[in-house]
Amino acid sequence: MSVSVGQFYEAGKENLSLELEYGGEYFSRHIPEQALNRPGLALTGFFQHFSHRRIQVIGLAESDYLQSLDAGTRLSRVRDVCRHDIPCILLSRGRRAMPEIREAAEEYHIPVMRSPMITSRLINAATLIMENLTAPTIRVQGTMVEIMGIGVLLQGPPGLGKSETALALIERGHSLVSDDVTVLHRDSEGFVIGSAVDVTRYHMEIRGLGIIHVPSLFGVSSMRNNMRLDLVIQMHPWDPAIEVDRTGLNSEKTDMMGVSVPLIRLPVAPGRDMAQVIEVAARNQKLKLLGHDAAKELDEKLVGILTRKAQA
Amino acid sequence: MKLLRKDAANDMVRKVEIINRLGIHARPASMFVKKAQEFSAEITVEKDKMKVDAKSIMGLLTLEGYMGAVLTLRAAGEDARQALDALEELVKNKFYED
Repeated sequence: MSVSVGQFYEAGKENLSLELEYGGEYFSRHIPEQALNRPGLALTGFFQHFSHRRIQVIGLAESDYLQSLDAGTRLSRVRDVCRHDIPCILLSRGRRAMPEIREAAEEYHIPVMRSPMITSRLINAATLIMENLTAPTIRVQGTMVEIMGIGVLLQGPPGLGKSETALALIERGHSLVSDDVTVLHRDSEGFVIGSAVDVTRYHMEIRGLGIIHVPSLFGVSSMRNNMRLDLVIQMHPWDPAIEVDRTGLNSEKTDMMGVSVPLIRLPVAPGRDMAQVIEVAARNQKLKLLGHDAAKELDEKLVGILTRKAQA
Repeated sequence: MKLLRKDAANDMVRKVEIINRLGIHARPASMFVKKAQEFSAEITVEKDKMKVDAKSIMGLLTLEGYMGAVLTLRAAGEDARQALDALEELVKNKFYED
Protein backbone atom coordinates (compact mmCIF):
# COMPACT_ATOMS: atom_id res chain seq x y z
CA MET A 1 0.00 0.00 0.00
CA SER A 2 1.46 3.31 -1.05
CA VAL A 3 1.43 6.23 1.34
CA SER A 4 1.28 9.88 0.31
CA VAL A 5 3.39 12.60 1.89
CA GLY A 6 0.14 14.19 3.12
CA GLN A 7 -0.85 10.99 4.94
CA PHE A 8 2.57 10.82 6.56
CA TYR A 9 2.33 14.45 7.63
CA GLU A 10 -1.14 13.98 9.13
CA ALA A 11 -0.12 10.83 10.96
CA GLY A 12 3.11 12.35 12.25
CA LYS A 13 1.88 15.83 13.10
CA GLU A 14 1.33 14.91 16.71
CA ASN A 15 3.95 12.26 17.50
CA LEU A 16 6.80 13.87 15.56
CA SER A 17 5.60 17.46 16.10
CA LEU A 18 5.94 17.98 12.37
CA GLU A 19 5.79 21.47 10.96
CA LEU A 20 5.49 22.19 7.30
CA GLU A 21 8.22 24.36 5.78
CA TYR A 22 7.11 24.25 2.23
CA GLY A 23 5.09 22.36 -0.35
CA GLY A 24 1.67 21.52 1.10
CA GLU A 25 0.32 21.59 -2.44
CA TYR A 26 2.54 18.62 -3.31
CA PHE A 27 1.22 16.42 -0.53
CA SER A 28 -0.11 13.94 -3.08
CA ARG A 29 3.47 12.78 -3.82
CA HIS A 30 3.89 9.13 -2.99
CA ILE A 31 6.37 7.54 -0.62
CA PRO A 32 7.13 4.24 -2.35
CA GLU A 33 9.32 2.79 0.41
CA GLN A 34 8.53 2.83 4.11
CA ALA A 35 12.10 3.10 5.43
CA LEU A 36 13.76 6.50 5.83
CA ASN A 37 17.06 7.56 4.30
CA ARG A 38 19.83 9.95 5.31
CA PRO A 39 21.20 11.33 2.06
CA GLY A 40 24.73 11.87 3.44
CA LEU A 41 26.73 10.48 0.54
CA ALA A 42 24.26 11.73 -2.05
CA LEU A 43 24.95 15.26 -0.83
CA THR A 44 28.61 14.75 -1.65
CA GLY A 45 27.62 13.84 -5.18
CA PHE A 46 27.78 10.05 -4.89
CA PHE A 47 24.48 8.65 -6.17
CA GLN A 48 25.13 4.93 -6.51
CA HIS A 49 22.68 3.01 -4.34
CA PHE A 50 20.90 6.24 -3.44
CA SER A 51 17.55 5.27 -1.86
CA HIS A 52 15.63 8.03 -3.56
CA ARG A 53 12.24 6.32 -3.02
CA ARG A 54 12.35 7.06 0.71
CA ILE A 55 11.77 10.11 2.88
CA GLN A 56 15.10 11.97 3.01
CA VAL A 57 16.15 13.02 6.50
CA ILE A 58 18.55 15.93 6.85
CA GLY A 59 20.17 15.40 10.23
CA LEU A 60 22.91 17.27 12.05
CA ALA A 61 25.70 15.78 9.89
CA GLU A 62 23.99 16.55 6.57
CA SER A 63 23.08 19.99 7.78
CA ASP A 64 26.61 20.87 8.95
CA TYR A 65 28.12 19.40 5.82
CA LEU A 66 25.88 21.59 3.65
CA GLN A 67 26.80 24.61 5.78
CA SER A 68 30.47 23.92 5.09
CA LEU A 69 29.91 24.34 1.36
CA ASP A 70 29.70 27.64 -0.45
CA ALA A 71 26.20 28.71 -1.41
CA GLY A 72 26.55 27.80 -5.09
CA THR A 73 27.79 24.26 -4.45
CA ARG A 74 25.20 23.83 -1.73
CA LEU A 75 22.38 24.66 -4.11
CA SER A 76 23.65 22.36 -6.85
CA ARG A 77 24.10 19.42 -4.42
CA VAL A 78 20.60 19.77 -3.00
CA ARG A 79 19.23 20.11 -6.50
CA ASP A 80 20.96 16.88 -7.53
CA VAL A 81 19.24 15.10 -4.64
CA CYS A 82 15.84 16.62 -5.43
CA ARG A 83 16.20 15.74 -9.10
CA HIS A 84 16.09 12.05 -8.12
CA ASP A 85 12.34 12.30 -7.53
CA ILE A 86 12.50 11.96 -3.75
CA PRO A 87 9.13 12.00 -1.92
CA CYS A 88 9.92 14.73 0.62
CA ILE A 89 12.61 16.21 2.85
CA LEU A 90 12.46 15.95 6.63
CA LEU A 91 14.70 18.16 8.79
CA SER A 92 15.54 17.09 12.33
CA ARG A 93 16.33 19.15 15.45
CA GLY A 94 13.85 21.82 14.41
CA ARG A 95 16.28 23.32 11.95
CA ARG A 96 14.79 25.57 9.36
CA ALA A 97 15.47 24.78 5.73
CA MET A 98 18.42 26.65 4.29
CA PRO A 99 17.46 28.95 1.41
CA GLU A 100 19.12 26.54 -1.03
CA ILE A 101 17.07 23.57 0.19
CA ARG A 102 13.94 25.59 -0.20
CA GLU A 103 14.93 26.81 -3.65
CA ALA A 104 15.66 23.29 -4.91
CA ALA A 105 12.49 21.93 -3.31
CA GLU A 106 10.40 24.63 -4.97
CA GLU A 107 11.98 23.85 -8.28
CA TYR A 108 11.21 20.11 -8.04
CA HIS A 109 7.89 20.39 -6.15
CA ILE A 110 9.12 18.57 -3.10
CA PRO A 111 7.49 19.16 0.30
CA VAL A 112 9.84 20.06 3.16
CA MET A 113 8.96 19.59 6.83
CA ARG A 114 10.81 19.72 10.13
CA SER A 115 10.63 18.07 13.50
CA PRO A 116 12.24 19.18 16.79
CA MET A 117 13.37 15.58 17.49
CA ILE A 118 16.99 14.50 17.19
CA THR A 119 17.73 12.47 14.09
CA SER A 120 17.96 8.95 15.52
CA ARG A 121 14.73 9.29 17.51
CA LEU A 122 13.02 10.94 14.60
CA ILE A 123 13.96 8.09 12.26
CA ASN A 124 12.75 5.46 14.72
CA ALA A 125 9.44 7.20 15.36
CA ALA A 126 8.88 8.03 11.69
CA THR A 127 9.59 4.41 10.73
CA LEU A 128 6.88 3.26 13.14
CA ILE A 129 4.46 5.71 11.61
CA MET A 130 5.31 4.52 8.12
CA GLU A 131 4.88 0.90 9.22
CA ASN A 132 1.44 1.66 10.62
CA LEU A 133 0.47 3.53 7.46
CA THR A 134 1.58 0.68 5.21
CA ALA A 135 0.19 -2.11 7.41
CA PRO A 136 -2.49 -4.17 5.71
CA THR A 137 -6.02 -3.37 6.84
CA ILE A 138 -9.16 -5.44 6.76
CA ARG A 139 -12.78 -4.48 7.18
CA VAL A 140 -14.95 -6.55 9.43
CA GLN A 141 -18.66 -6.46 10.11
CA GLY A 142 -19.06 -5.25 13.65
CA THR A 143 -19.47 -2.28 15.94
CA MET A 144 -16.53 -1.25 18.08
CA VAL A 145 -16.70 0.50 21.43
CA GLU A 146 -14.22 1.49 24.08
CA ILE A 147 -15.24 0.55 27.61
CA MET A 148 -12.93 1.85 30.33
CA GLY A 149 -9.84 1.37 28.23
CA ILE A 150 -10.91 -1.98 26.80
CA GLY A 151 -11.56 -2.12 23.06
CA VAL A 152 -14.57 -4.33 22.37
CA LEU A 153 -15.77 -5.47 18.95
CA LEU A 154 -19.47 -6.42 18.89
CA GLN A 155 -20.32 -8.92 16.19
CA GLY A 156 -23.45 -10.83 15.32
CA PRO A 157 -26.22 -11.14 12.76
CA PRO A 158 -27.93 -7.93 11.63
CA GLY A 159 -30.97 -6.82 13.57
CA LEU A 160 -29.74 -8.19 16.86
CA GLY A 161 -29.18 -4.73 18.29
CA LYS A 162 -25.44 -4.15 18.01
CA SER A 163 -25.90 -0.44 17.34
CA GLU A 164 -28.54 -0.09 20.07
CA THR A 165 -26.19 -1.80 22.49
CA ALA A 166 -23.39 0.55 21.49
CA LEU A 167 -25.77 3.48 22.00
CA ALA A 168 -26.63 2.27 25.49
CA LEU A 169 -22.91 1.95 26.23
CA ILE A 170 -22.34 5.53 25.03
CA GLU A 171 -25.09 6.66 27.38
CA ARG A 172 -23.24 4.92 30.18
CA GLY A 173 -20.23 7.12 29.38
CA HIS A 174 -18.26 4.82 27.10
CA SER A 175 -17.09 5.71 23.60
CA LEU A 176 -17.90 4.60 20.09
CA VAL A 177 -15.09 3.70 17.72
CA SER A 178 -17.07 2.55 14.71
CA ASP A 179 -20.61 1.52 13.86
CA ASP A 180 -21.31 -1.61 11.85
CA VAL A 181 -18.10 -1.63 9.80
CA THR A 182 -14.75 -1.63 11.57
CA VAL A 183 -11.36 -1.23 9.95
CA LEU A 184 -8.66 -3.32 11.59
CA HIS A 185 -4.92 -3.16 11.19
CA ARG A 186 -1.93 -4.53 13.05
CA ASP A 187 0.34 -1.96 14.52
CA SER A 188 4.11 -2.23 14.86
CA GLU A 189 3.78 -3.63 18.39
CA GLY A 190 1.62 -6.51 17.18
CA PHE A 191 -1.69 -5.23 18.51
CA VAL A 192 -4.83 -5.14 16.41
CA ILE A 193 -6.16 -1.60 16.16
CA GLY A 194 -9.74 -0.83 15.19
CA SER A 195 -11.06 2.37 13.68
CA ALA A 196 -13.99 3.62 11.64
CA VAL A 197 -14.12 4.02 7.88
CA ASP A 198 -13.26 7.69 7.30
CA VAL A 199 -16.48 8.72 5.56
CA THR A 200 -18.85 7.33 8.17
CA ARG A 201 -16.74 8.13 11.24
CA TYR A 202 -18.75 9.74 14.09
CA HIS A 203 -22.02 8.48 12.63
CA MET A 204 -24.22 5.58 13.42
CA GLU A 205 -27.47 4.20 12.11
CA ILE A 206 -30.27 3.43 14.52
CA ARG A 207 -33.23 1.57 13.08
CA GLY A 208 -36.23 3.87 13.04
CA LEU A 209 -34.18 7.01 13.63
CA GLY A 210 -31.83 6.89 10.69
CA ILE A 211 -28.34 8.30 10.75
CA ILE A 212 -27.20 10.24 13.80
CA HIS A 213 -24.03 12.24 14.48
CA VAL A 214 -22.76 10.84 17.76
CA PRO A 215 -20.52 13.67 19.08
CA SER A 216 -23.23 16.27 18.42
CA LEU A 217 -25.65 14.34 20.59
CA PHE A 218 -23.32 12.94 23.24
CA GLY A 219 -20.27 15.20 23.24
CA VAL A 220 -16.69 14.74 22.07
CA SER A 221 -15.85 12.17 24.72
CA SER A 222 -18.38 9.80 23.15
CA MET A 223 -16.03 9.09 20.23
CA ARG A 224 -12.62 7.55 19.84
CA ASN A 225 -10.78 7.54 16.54
CA ASN A 226 -8.98 4.29 17.12
CA MET A 227 -8.61 1.72 19.84
CA ARG A 228 -6.70 -1.45 20.52
CA LEU A 229 -8.86 -4.56 20.18
CA ASP A 230 -8.96 -6.47 23.48
CA LEU A 231 -12.17 -8.46 23.29
CA VAL A 232 -14.55 -9.79 20.65
CA ILE A 233 -18.17 -10.33 21.67
CA GLN A 234 -20.16 -12.56 19.38
CA MET A 235 -23.86 -11.91 19.98
CA HIS A 236 -26.39 -14.54 18.93
CA PRO A 237 -30.13 -15.05 19.44
CA TRP A 238 -31.02 -16.93 22.62
CA ASP A 239 -31.26 -20.60 21.72
CA PRO A 240 -31.19 -23.34 24.36
CA ALA A 241 -29.57 -25.65 21.83
CA ILE A 242 -26.46 -23.46 21.67
CA GLU A 243 -24.10 -24.36 24.45
CA VAL A 244 -23.05 -21.44 26.57
CA ASP A 245 -20.05 -21.45 28.86
CA ARG A 246 -21.56 -21.14 32.30
CA THR A 247 -18.37 -20.86 34.32
CA GLY A 248 -16.14 -18.64 32.23
CA LEU A 249 -13.34 -21.18 32.69
CA ASN A 250 -13.19 -22.11 29.04
CA SER A 251 -11.78 -18.87 27.69
CA GLU A 252 -12.19 -18.94 23.94
CA LYS A 253 -9.97 -17.06 21.51
CA THR A 254 -10.45 -15.92 17.98
CA ASP A 255 -7.91 -15.05 15.34
CA MET A 256 -7.87 -11.43 14.18
CA MET A 257 -5.17 -10.72 11.60
CA GLY A 258 -2.97 -13.38 13.12
CA VAL A 259 -3.43 -12.09 16.67
CA SER A 260 -5.27 -14.21 19.21
CA VAL A 261 -8.05 -12.15 20.84
CA PRO A 262 -10.38 -13.32 23.65
CA LEU A 263 -13.87 -14.19 22.41
CA ILE A 264 -17.11 -14.27 24.37
CA ARG A 265 -20.32 -15.71 22.95
CA LEU A 266 -23.27 -13.85 24.35
CA PRO A 267 -26.88 -14.97 23.94
CA VAL A 268 -29.34 -12.12 23.39
CA ALA A 269 -32.83 -12.48 24.85
CA PRO A 270 -35.66 -9.95 24.94
CA GLY A 271 -35.31 -7.84 28.02
CA ARG A 272 -31.70 -8.73 28.63
CA ASP A 273 -29.70 -5.56 29.23
CA MET A 274 -26.88 -6.22 26.78
CA ALA A 275 -25.06 -2.97 27.55
CA GLN A 276 -24.83 -3.91 31.19
CA VAL A 277 -23.66 -7.45 30.42
CA ILE A 278 -21.05 -6.19 27.95
CA GLU A 279 -19.81 -3.56 30.37
CA VAL A 280 -19.29 -6.29 32.95
CA ALA A 281 -17.54 -8.43 30.32
CA ALA A 282 -15.14 -5.55 29.66
CA ARG A 283 -14.53 -5.00 33.38
CA ASN A 284 -13.86 -8.72 33.76
CA GLN A 285 -11.47 -8.64 30.81
CA LYS A 286 -9.65 -5.73 32.42
CA LEU A 287 -9.37 -7.76 35.61
CA LYS A 288 -7.94 -10.67 33.63
CA LEU A 289 -5.38 -8.37 32.03
CA LEU A 290 -4.35 -7.39 35.56
CA GLY A 291 -3.83 -11.06 36.32
CA HIS A 292 -7.06 -11.90 38.14
CA ASP A 293 -9.30 -14.58 36.70
CA ALA A 294 -12.39 -14.70 38.94
CA ALA A 295 -13.66 -18.03 37.61
CA LYS A 296 -10.27 -19.67 38.03
CA GLU A 297 -9.72 -18.21 41.49
CA LEU A 298 -13.11 -19.36 42.77
CA ASP A 299 -12.45 -22.79 41.34
CA GLU A 300 -9.06 -23.02 43.04
CA LYS A 301 -10.62 -21.97 46.34
CA LEU A 302 -13.33 -24.60 45.94
CA VAL A 303 -10.91 -27.35 45.05
CA GLY A 304 -8.95 -26.46 48.19
CA ILE A 305 -12.05 -26.72 50.39
CA LEU A 306 -13.28 -29.91 48.73
CA THR A 307 -10.01 -31.81 48.92
CA ARG A 308 -9.56 -30.82 52.59
CA LYS A 309 -13.06 -32.08 53.40
CA ALA A 310 -12.55 -35.27 51.42
CA GLN A 311 -9.49 -36.10 53.47
CA ALA A 312 -11.16 -35.31 56.79
CA MET B 1 -58.48 -38.29 50.29
CA LYS B 2 -54.81 -37.57 49.85
CA LEU B 3 -54.02 -34.94 47.26
CA LEU B 4 -51.39 -35.92 44.77
CA ARG B 5 -49.58 -33.72 42.32
CA LYS B 6 -50.46 -34.67 38.79
CA ASP B 7 -47.07 -36.01 37.94
CA ALA B 8 -46.29 -37.25 41.40
CA ALA B 9 -46.15 -40.72 39.99
CA ASN B 10 -43.09 -39.63 38.07
CA ASP B 11 -41.21 -38.27 41.11
CA MET B 12 -37.92 -40.02 41.49
CA VAL B 13 -35.25 -40.03 44.19
CA ARG B 14 -31.72 -41.34 43.94
CA LYS B 15 -28.59 -41.15 46.06
CA VAL B 16 -25.15 -40.90 44.48
CA GLU B 17 -21.74 -40.73 46.03
CA ILE B 18 -19.17 -38.33 44.66
CA ILE B 19 -16.09 -40.34 43.77
CA ASN B 20 -13.93 -37.95 41.78
CA ARG B 21 -10.93 -36.69 43.72
CA LEU B 22 -11.60 -32.96 43.41
CA GLY B 23 -15.35 -33.13 44.08
CA ILE B 24 -17.89 -30.80 42.50
CA HIS B 25 -15.81 -27.78 41.60
CA ALA B 26 -16.59 -25.44 38.74
CA ARG B 27 -16.00 -27.73 35.79
CA PRO B 28 -18.01 -30.71 37.10
CA ALA B 29 -20.74 -28.31 38.22
CA SER B 30 -21.03 -26.87 34.74
CA MET B 31 -21.16 -30.37 33.24
CA PHE B 32 -23.86 -31.32 35.74
CA VAL B 33 -25.92 -28.22 34.90
CA LYS B 34 -25.47 -28.75 31.18
CA LYS B 35 -26.70 -32.32 31.51
CA ALA B 36 -29.63 -31.34 33.76
CA GLN B 37 -30.72 -28.72 31.26
CA GLU B 38 -31.26 -31.38 28.64
CA PHE B 39 -34.33 -32.52 30.56
CA SER B 40 -37.60 -30.78 31.22
CA ALA B 41 -37.95 -32.38 34.64
CA GLU B 42 -37.51 -30.26 37.74
CA ILE B 43 -34.39 -31.57 39.40
CA THR B 44 -32.95 -30.74 42.79
CA VAL B 45 -29.76 -31.78 44.51
CA GLU B 46 -29.57 -32.20 48.27
CA LYS B 47 -26.69 -32.55 50.68
CA ASP B 48 -26.64 -31.99 54.45
CA LYS B 49 -30.22 -30.68 54.33
CA MET B 50 -29.24 -28.07 51.78
CA LYS B 51 -31.26 -28.24 48.62
CA VAL B 52 -30.41 -26.50 45.35
CA ASP B 53 -31.66 -26.48 41.79
CA ALA B 54 -29.66 -28.89 39.61
CA LYS B 55 -29.71 -26.31 36.83
CA SER B 56 -27.93 -23.64 38.92
CA ILE B 57 -24.14 -23.52 38.85
CA MET B 58 -23.81 -21.25 41.84
CA GLY B 59 -26.25 -23.44 43.75
CA LEU B 60 -24.24 -26.59 43.10
CA LEU B 61 -21.00 -24.93 44.13
CA THR B 62 -22.45 -23.90 47.49
CA LEU B 63 -23.16 -27.53 48.31
CA GLU B 64 -19.44 -28.22 48.69
CA GLY B 65 -19.68 -31.68 47.20
CA TYR B 66 -16.34 -33.21 48.14
CA MET B 67 -15.21 -36.75 47.34
CA GLY B 68 -17.12 -39.18 49.55
CA ALA B 69 -20.13 -36.94 50.06
CA VAL B 70 -23.54 -38.34 49.13
CA LEU B 71 -25.96 -36.30 47.05
CA THR B 72 -29.68 -36.90 46.95
CA LEU B 73 -31.09 -36.22 43.51
CA ARG B 74 -34.81 -35.64 43.16
CA ALA B 75 -36.59 -35.22 39.86
CA ALA B 76 -40.18 -34.54 38.94
CA GLY B 77 -41.51 -34.54 35.42
CA GLU B 78 -41.98 -36.74 32.43
CA ASP B 79 -38.35 -37.45 31.83
CA ALA B 80 -37.43 -37.64 35.51
CA ARG B 81 -36.06 -41.17 35.26
CA GLN B 82 -33.91 -40.43 32.23
CA ALA B 83 -32.61 -37.27 33.90
CA LEU B 84 -31.53 -39.10 37.04
CA ASP B 85 -29.98 -41.89 34.97
CA ALA B 86 -27.92 -39.40 33.03
CA LEU B 87 -26.84 -37.40 36.07
CA GLU B 88 -25.96 -40.53 38.02
CA GLU B 89 -23.87 -41.76 35.13
CA LEU B 90 -22.01 -38.47 35.07
CA VAL B 91 -21.19 -38.60 38.79
CA LYS B 92 -20.24 -42.29 38.67
CA ASN B 93 -17.91 -41.62 35.77
CA LYS B 94 -16.13 -39.01 37.91
CA PHE B 95 -17.23 -36.28 35.48
CA TYR B 96 -14.74 -37.81 33.08
CA GLU B 97 -12.08 -36.00 35.05
CA ASP B 98 -9.65 -38.16 37.04
